Amino acid sequence: MLEAAQRANIYCETLGPEQFGIIQKPLTLAEKIYNQAWLRKISIIVVLALAWELYGRWLDNPLLVPTFADTIRALIAGVAEGTIPQRALSSMEVLLIGFATGTLLAGMLTVFAIGTRIGTDFLETMTAMFNPLPAIALLPLALIWFGLGAGSLIFVLVHSVMWAVALNTLAGFRSVSSTVRMVGRNYNLNGLRFVAKILIPAAFPSILAGLKIGWAFAWRTLIAAELVFGVSSGQGGLGWYIFESKNQLNIPEVFAGLLTIILIGLAVENIVFRFVETRTVQRWGMQS
Amino acid sequence: MPIGATLASKSASSGVGESRPAAAGRARALADPSRPLLDVRGVTIQYKTQRHLVTATYRVGFSVLQADRFVLLGPSGCGKSTLLKAVGGYLQPTEGDIRLKGELITKPGPDRIMVFQEFDQLLPWKTVLENVIFPLKTTRTLNAKAAEERAMHYIKKVNLTKFAHSYPHTLSGGMKQRVAIARGMAMEPDILLMDEPFAALDALTRTRMQDELLALWDETQFTVLFVTHSIPEAIKIGSRILLLSPHPGQVKAEINSVPHGQENSNEAAALNREIHEMLFTDQIEETPNA
Repeated sequence: MLEAAQRANIYCETLGPEQFGIIQKPLTLAEKIYNQAWLRKISIIVVLALAWELYGRWLDNPLLVPTFADTIRALIAGVAEGTIPQRALSSMEVLLIGFATGTLLAGMLTVFAIGTRIGTDFLETMTAMFNPLPAIALLPLALIWFGLGAGSLIFVLVHSVMWAVALNTLAGFRSVSSTVRMVGRNYNLNGLRFVAKILIPAAFPSILAGLKIGWAFAWRTLIAAELVFGVSSGQGGLGWYIFESKNQLNIPEVFAGLLTIILIGLAVENIVFRFVETRTVQRWGMQS
Repeated sequence: MPIGATLASKSASSGVGESRPAAAGRARALADPSRPLLDVRGVTIQYKTQRHLVTATYRVGFSVLQADRFVLLGPSGCGKSTLLKAVGGYLQPTEGDIRLKGELITKPGPDRIMVFQEFDQLLPWKTVLENVIFPLKTTRTLNAKAAEERAMHYIKKVNLTKFAHSYPHTLSGGMKQRVAIARGMAMEPDILLMDEPFAALDALTRTRMQDELLALWDETQFTVLFVTHSIPEAIKIGSRILLLSPHPGQVKAEINSVPHGQENSNEAAALNREIHEMLFTDQIEETPNA
């Protein structure tokens, strides 16, 4: 039996760095390619498009599911004619006005709300009431109040954006650590300067998430609203384009319209929001 | 109470009393070295949790002089952090008052810069340099150019020149604390308030940071009020140590530390034992840190 006290001290020689085969080795080309997120995402889209094309051909019924190639053809034709860009532009215009107004109102509401306890209660109650209410359900009322046209659309858009953004902004403000708050107060920051210089940047990840959700809500609401009353509006948007094409049983064009909505959504998410994210929350290490 | 006596005679002789302009008061306070920079008197702090009214400190009093390295030492629950927050102006004492250069502390202000234990005290959306400039600019202490110069000066003092343009999330814990210290010192406040700034660091980094802080003090002789629960740290950092008992925090003793640089001497060891006995003679019941 070896006694605990009998064990001798042990000293080892360690190898120097030149004695190792690999300490650092560049990745292979395949690994580098696989590490590109956009390439991975594009390959997913390619696979989906391929599956669509195959299913379309197998079904062979363009009135139910036109093939991917037909849809692309309709899309290209629509773009060449100028109808799709024009419809998309007219949708985007209303969308941007609604989104900007909704965000602005949400910002004002939240800043007002965080100042006082009753303000917070007010905002919480309002969001609890209105956030689950589909904006499109307000459209009939909006039509009575604002008539047919952009006014009604903007009203429902503001409704769909405002509560989502306000809810996320409030949650973001509340999650700002007490240390950061104390640091801000240490430098005599209060009121609006405290909000602008401490709370907004510190809560930026939540605010950005709110804007993304608000953006998606706004898109959905707008297209749905256009489907309902595009008929009477002078300049129809993408929703109206889809509705019109369906009435003419021009199903590839319906798909082209849907695809355009998807493409715009992808572009905004992957170009606009991505750009803002890399410049802000990622650079600041607030999001990986 | 010799300090009280001088204070009383001061306000009596000045004639104008409390109505004199703050600037004149400040100048007077600077001119008189015998008057304490920070005067804490009979301070009782109570705060409410969801269920209880907690008395954190009971009638605590002490005075910090210019260029003191004043340490508040005690076990968890002795209210030392609460006391520091009250000096910072974040909490109001229920009883007693806290005066900085004779003026009552009612709210936070840039004349008392806090350095916290938490690493997230740096603003993550600003680089190291921008973080140090931020208070200088928001409090309008300096214009943009002068602020940057002073910020770089203090960043150099904490050996982070190479990282001036890095974002905080790329720095180690020790480096973040050094930035926070540089940011505090760049404001050149009347007093630097440090709330266990090294407690979340590993032992090696902690020792190095203590040495660096002392080296900085040798250069600029700033006044610091330092909170810790580590007896060796208190002996090493402090020039004077206030011992607090727990639940609620009361003053047990106010003692001189060993001279700067003798923290490994026999006197330091004896002092360590003495403090240890004073703090741990009472049976301490374990309670969650408030």
